[in-house]
Amino acid sequence: MIHILGRTWGLLLFLLFLPTDVSAQQNQDETVCIQCHGGIPGAIGAPVRQWQGSIHQRHGVLCFHCHGGDPTDFGLAHSPERGFLGAPGDEDVPKFCGRCHVGVTEDYFESAHGQALGAGGPNCVTCHGSHAVQRATSELINPQDCTRCHEYGRAEEIKNAIAGTEAFISSLEGDVAALHRLGIDTSRLEGSIFSVRNEFRRLFHSVDVERVRNETDNFQQQLGVIAGQVEALQAELARRKVWGGAVVVLLILAGVLSLLLYKSYMEGKEG
Amino acid sequence: MPKRIVDWLDLRLGIRDILEQNLTKYLLPRNINIWYTLGAVLLTLFALQFATGILLLIYYQPSPQEAFSSVQRIMNEIPYGWLLRNLHAVGSNLIVAVLLLHMLSALFMGSYKRPRELTWVSGFLLLNLSLGLCLTGYLLPWSQLSFWATTIATDAAGAIPLLGADLVGFLRGGTAVGEDTLGRFFALHVMGFPLLFGLLVAFHLFCVRRTGVSKPPFGPDYTPPKEHDRFHHEHHPGGIPFFPHYMAKEAGVISFFLALLVAITFFAPGLFIPPTANIPADPFVTPPGIKPEWYFLWAYQVLKIFPSELMGLAVQVVAMTLLALLPFIDRSPERRPARRPLFVALFICGIAIFVGLSIWGYFS
Repeated sequence: MIHILGRTWGLLLFLLFLPTDVSAQQNQDETVCIQCHGGIPGAIGAPVRQWQGSIHQRHGVLCFHCHGGDPTDFGLAHSPERGFLGAPGDEDVPKFCGRCHVGVTEDYFESAHGQALGAGGPNCVTCHGSHAVQRATSELINPQDCTRCHEYGRAEEIKNAIAGTEAFISSLEGDVAALHRLGIDTSRLEGSIFSVRNEFRRLFHSVDVERVRNETDNFQQQLGVIAGQVEALQAELARRKVWGGAVVVLLILAGVLSLLLYKSYMEGKEG
Repeated sequence: MPKRIVDWLDLRLGIRDILEQNLTKYLLPRNINIWYTLGAVLLTLFALQFATGILLLIYYQPSPQEAFSSVQRIMNEIPYGWLLRNLHAVGSNLIVAVLLLHMLSALFMGSYKRPRELTWVSGFLLLNLSLGLCLTGYLLPWSQLSFWATTIATDAAGAIPLLGADLVGFLRGGTAVGEDTLGRFFALHVMGFPLLFGLLVAFHLFCVRRTGVSKPPFGPDYTPPKEHDRFHHEHHPGGIPFFPHYMAKEAGVISFFLALLVAITFFAPGLFIPPTANIPADPFVTPPGIKPEWYFLWAYQVLKIFPSELMGLAVQVVAMTLLALLPFIDRSPERRPARRPLFVALFICGIAIFVGLSIWGYFS
């Protein structure tokens, strides 16, 4: 009996969980980039530590996605035949990032920032950072960073012009995330917001204050349509809660009545 | 009309006699308390799981390509699909909670003692089968949570010396969690385990009915029952009828638990369905912070405390085996908690350790 029970429970225990960091570590160790660079102190290993916790890491963008090479073979990790690109020079950074971030790169090149590339103008990492890159917000436009190159005044005007739309986008993203947590299929809504956000960010990468002001209404209208869809879903959830609340009340009433019935039966029996 | 049906059945099967013997003339102890109703609560919740499970099965598709999208369809397109899925997911958690309460009440009142050893062991096996059902059901939505929880869980089998690698392969049906794992878990969840479960429930209820309900060990009139050398059904002369008296009490408690189930389902489903359960499985991205379900947290933490996984597993096996065989270890007929100070102290320590390890596991 002991043997059988032990084996039954043991089998269940096989299925129990181990610490997730073990698995996460195993997953990361699968790329030879991290196995090698992650253990090196100083500048050669620093990118790995900076990348950990970045938006790229959270979205599963690994070293080889940007730098190329073979992430499964130590010997071919730096092989140009396997697409290894290494680190880009300052002037090559926009094209390097632009392989994925296509839209904003086009607007960047047309902007004053892009026009000044190679003549002291900023590239992507000047504002966004490289390996430790985080989710972009309007907070990237701030006196401390902008005044490294020029006065803050014009940057502040752009920040003020985009503030309302950015807040609208953030608020919608929060609402949609809350719906998604409840199991609502928000893929279409997320796609719509993603599209509007990308278009809007293309707009302000032009660093043209007048253009931002002129086109903001159009973005607000598009966001308004999405907000309407979000509100419809929220209203549906609220309706469900009303019905759920009613059922809960009815069940509690049924419980109380049953116990009163039991009490009366018992009194009858004792009487 | 109902009278005519009963008359018809009575003529052929003697149904009135069966009903009398098991309902109106089946007497229970007068001081039977509310803890005794948990069995009926569990039967109701299991019936609900069965019903919602079958309805979910109509639309669920057990393949890695279709599983997540079929669950999304259930949640977003099928009328009341969200309700079925949430009731099924929340219900499984509530069942584990009630199972634990049911087991704790049997422990505290010494209901596991002779002649009810088989009732206890079958109940213990039912608890384990329920956990198995929870675990296999976890993979089916093929979400990030499902995929990685199962990957990590099946990895644990690798800690067994010599057999580890083979066991991992056996559980997964391959080197990694994939189509074959889903197939195995699906078959176990919808057919293998429920079949065993049904048989065990029937045996458990048979034991309860055949041996008779134990008298609550409280009050000045209570004396430990005599030990018999031959089979003896514990009668309760002057007790209360199962129907309608006791069933009214059961109906009351069942209603309160159903109210709790509905309240969580409608107002806080996220309590048992974390955000990663709504993201499709991606074998290339490990989501951060995956934790086991609350009822496995204690075991998860035990594995972390000990220097090797094998030691952690061994400790759990020893603890659970002791619990399973308790009726054969604690053989004293005394059931009154006030007269079992050592047992009550161990009982309280056991709960404290379970809760403490679970909280530790949650925050670790």
